[in-house]
Amino acid sequence: MSVRIGVEVHVQLKTKSKLFCSCSTEYRDKEPNTVVCPICLGFPGTRPKINKKALDFAILIAKALECRILPKIFFSRKSYLYPDLAKNFQITQYEMPLARDGFLNININGKEKRIRIKRLHLEEDPAKLVHIGGDITTAEYVLVDYNRSGVPLCEIVTEPDFNNPKEVRMFLTKLSTILEYLNVYDSSLEGSMRVDANISVDDGERVEIKNMTGFGKIEKALNYEIVRQRHILRCGGKVKRETRGFDESQGITRSLREKELEEDYGYIFEPDLTVVKISDEWKERISKGMPELPDRRAQRFVEEYGLNHYQAKVIIYSGKAMADFFEECCSLFDNPRMIARWIITDLLKCLNYQGVPIDKSRMTPNLFVDFLRLISEGKITERLGKEMIKEISMSGEHPEEYLKRKNLLKDKVDVKKAVEKVLEKNKKAVLDYRLGKVKALEFLVGEVLKETRMVADPIEVRKLIKASVAQ
Amino acid sequence: METKEYLEGVKEGWICVEDELVKLFAKIKKVQEKYSPFITINEDQNPKKLNKGLVFGLPISVKDNICTKGLRTTAGSKILHNYIPPFDAFVTKVLKDEGGLIIGKTAMDEFGHGTFSTNCAFCVPKNPWDTRRSCGGSSGGAACLTIALDFPHIALAESTGGSISCPASFTGTVGITPTYGRVSRWGLISYANSLDKIGVIGKCVYDVAFLLSIIAGYDEMDSTSLDLNKEDYTSYLVNEVKGMKIGVPREYLGEGVDERIKKTVWSGIKMLETLGAEVEECQLPHTDIALPSYYIIAMAETSTNLAKFCGIRYGLESRIMKEGFNEYFTKVRTRGFGEETKRRIILGTYARMTGYRNRYYLKAMKARTLVIEDFKRAFKKYDVLIAPTMPILPPKFSEIEALEPVQVYMLDILTVPPNLAGIPMISIPCGFIQGLPVGMHVMADHLEEKNILRVAYTFEQNTKYHERMPVGV
Repeated sequence: MSVRIGVEVHVQLKTKSKLFCSCSTEYRDKEPNTVVCPICLGFPGTRPKINKKALDFAILIAKALECRILPKIFFSRKSYLYPDLAKNFQITQYEMPLARDGFLNININGKEKRIRIKRLHLEEDPAKLVHIGGDITTAEYVLVDYNRSGVPLCEIVTEPDFNNPKEVRMFLTKLSTILEYLNVYDSSLEGSMRVDANISVDDGERVEIKNMTGFGKIEKALNYEIVRQRHILRCGGKVKRETRGFDESQGITRSLREKELEEDYGYIFEPDLTVVKISDEWKERISKGMPELPDRRAQRFVEEYGLNHYQAKVIIYSGKAMADFFEECCSLFDNPRMIARWIITDLLKCLNYQGVPIDKSRMTPNLFVDFLRLISEGKITERLGKEMIKEISMSGEHPEEYLKRKNLLKDKVDVKKAVEKVLEKNKKAVLDYRLGKVKALEFLVGEVLKETRMVADPIEVRKLIKASVAQ
Repeated sequence: METKEYLEGVKEGWICVEDELVKLFAKIKKVQEKYSPFITINEDQNPKKLNKGLVFGLPISVKDNICTKGLRTTAGSKILHNYIPPFDAFVTKVLKDEGGLIIGKTAMDEFGHGTFSTNCAFCVPKNPWDTRRSCGGSSGGAACLTIALDFPHIALAESTGGSISCPASFTGTVGITPTYGRVSRWGLISYANSLDKIGVIGKCVYDVAFLLSIIAGYDEMDSTSLDLNKEDYTSYLVNEVKGMKIGVPREYLGEGVDERIKKTVWSGIKMLETLGAEVEECQLPHTDIALPSYYIIAMAETSTNLAKFCGIRYGLESRIMKEGFNEYFTKVRTRGFGEETKRRIILGTYARMTGYRNRYYLKAMKARTLVIEDFKRAFKKYDVLIAPTMPILPPKFSEIEALEPVQVYMLDILTVPPNLAGIPMISIPCGFIQGLPVGMHVMADHLEEKNILRVAYTFEQNTKYHERMPVGV
């Protein structure tokens, strides 16, 4: 059983203005059809004018993905009549894309796997269709919002190098992180990365699943599709070449249309735009602005902060903001491994539970470091720390304040008194311990910790109990 | 009165635009009744508000595929019968800023799809030399008005494959098509973007050189616009061709060209020779592939340009929206487009589809390069090339009806190659046959408008054919 998957990733570039006009790209939460002009509405007599910044961004991405950038590029018209296209054709690139033949490595069970990038090009985003009274197949009617029309998209097309949906997810996660590092895309915006996947099972026909968002959902859709295709094959059927959509609510893919051949789009050169020459100087200027990329940064985390590879990767691929957070913490508190450990085992889980990214969270590097200091100075126990971080990462309350408010300061808690109280209460256990049952000691320690609301240090408690029993 | 004199009069105050407007629109009404050059007449004028610029008070007509803010612009198509542009084309903006009077929108073949202006959804301009005959196309209304209106006036026209030269030839007017990229296409409703050029039709060489000086120039809104210094084209108007080298391409005087036209044009060329120009016959060997290449490229481009007209955002709509969008688009487009436009959309779509794209569209693009190279070689030797503009005299409407589409396309055989190459050209009257004007086509290398203007001006000054007027005008 073999599975082959290739993806086309559409990334909205965060330029200030659209690809071919000066309208803003910040169309979200705006009244429908208010971020538009005659150009992005395709009015007769208008012409596109290329946004050079979008080219800069695309060149940067091509460089980061080790692509070969073509010296001369041009744009083409991809024709299909559909209400989301203002001109009933999309300006994209066909024969001469911006770049070809790149790659991105992903890590599969400790081994690097190379995913080849076939091509990378620029195109305009279509308008948004709003289906009223149903989904794409069942809607009563459809409204068109052209605010999105003309937003620059960078399309990244891979070879069919993925063998399972998990690899796709890893690739997308890594790609998304790289794009964030390049500062060309905002991962927090809904629909800023949309993926089409071509998938075939056992060399059968390839099926395209269009317009998916969310890495987890994409993985789910692909898994469903594999099961669907395998089922058809097992029943002796043949997989049809077609385009399908993912229905998130039911977790299944549904047929949209029979797949047309690429050439049926009747591509011609876009005669309103001239050939763009990508000079060596231009490429050099872009290269100079190339930031440290995640893989390189992970390596640095290992060398500079003494993290292990696993720790470095987890922090890096939790997004750029998290890696920045980590480094800021390191500049405030010289214990990188402790910082990394607490991020990975606790902070990430808290944020994930809350559904808040670190840069939007109340947890600041100062707060986090102050919190870690309490532990390293022995003022609170790790066990208390694990309880505490859940609350302060959500509320942003300073750890000292938290301890005061909850009356958990160590010097305010009389551990000796708590030991006496527990021993007095649990005479049976004390007896058992005296008779040599080690488990009884553990029980008593636990009781004391509970009594002190986790403030007491278990090692100290153990000593006190032993001493007390020995008397 | 000549344009130059009129503009001086307005500037110096001995001509009052307000008074002239009454006379002007009275004349326009008569011309419209007789020859119907207008799709829309713009009587809504406020002479007090005009800027005192270079064309202060000058009546200017605009071909109806050039957008005029607030003034209906149809491109000769029913599908845009109610379209009011929200912005001005670059050229109309410039002319308004310079104080021009936009008197109306002139008739044309739908989206430029035609050679006789008979494919206009609103009216068909009649030739003032013989109203049973065509003015040519697609800028037929512009040429018709230029010869018919007895008032200073210059027309904005547009050529894709000969739409300025052809009507200029058929009406005995002067039509200049500048180098591709000289004049911004911002606001021009595209026929075929890689071929479309805005130009000028006027009563004399001075008029077209004068208006071209104003509308030419770089515009950042058109990526194909050339970033060059402004030129005063009237400064090239010298009555002198001594030493100029003129090439006469054999292919343009071969079979299919009316013998009487050949003779008339040759005598014009001989006259330039007597004035001191050096004349030589030459060859443009790829002339035969220019026509099919042109039609394939133009139709492929137009089939994508016209896709946007589907009744959603502007123009003709349908009230019945029960079915899917495909059925809706079909309904609106079936009603909105004329027969020739539909033909070109279908042929153009076919030429860029799987299996045909290589054979037709991409091959035509390569052939285009060969045609350009022909011209480039010729212009190493010659300052200008001269040929007849049209192979026939203006035909009768009854004759046009009998023509097959391919026969009509064949009539563009002389104007298509220079248009495909994007070189500048001018058509000027060079004689009359049975009371019908004959056009002489002068072509030059890219950006060498000065050569065609100098030859045309010298010819005009020594012949004065442009002063002849049709009876009844």
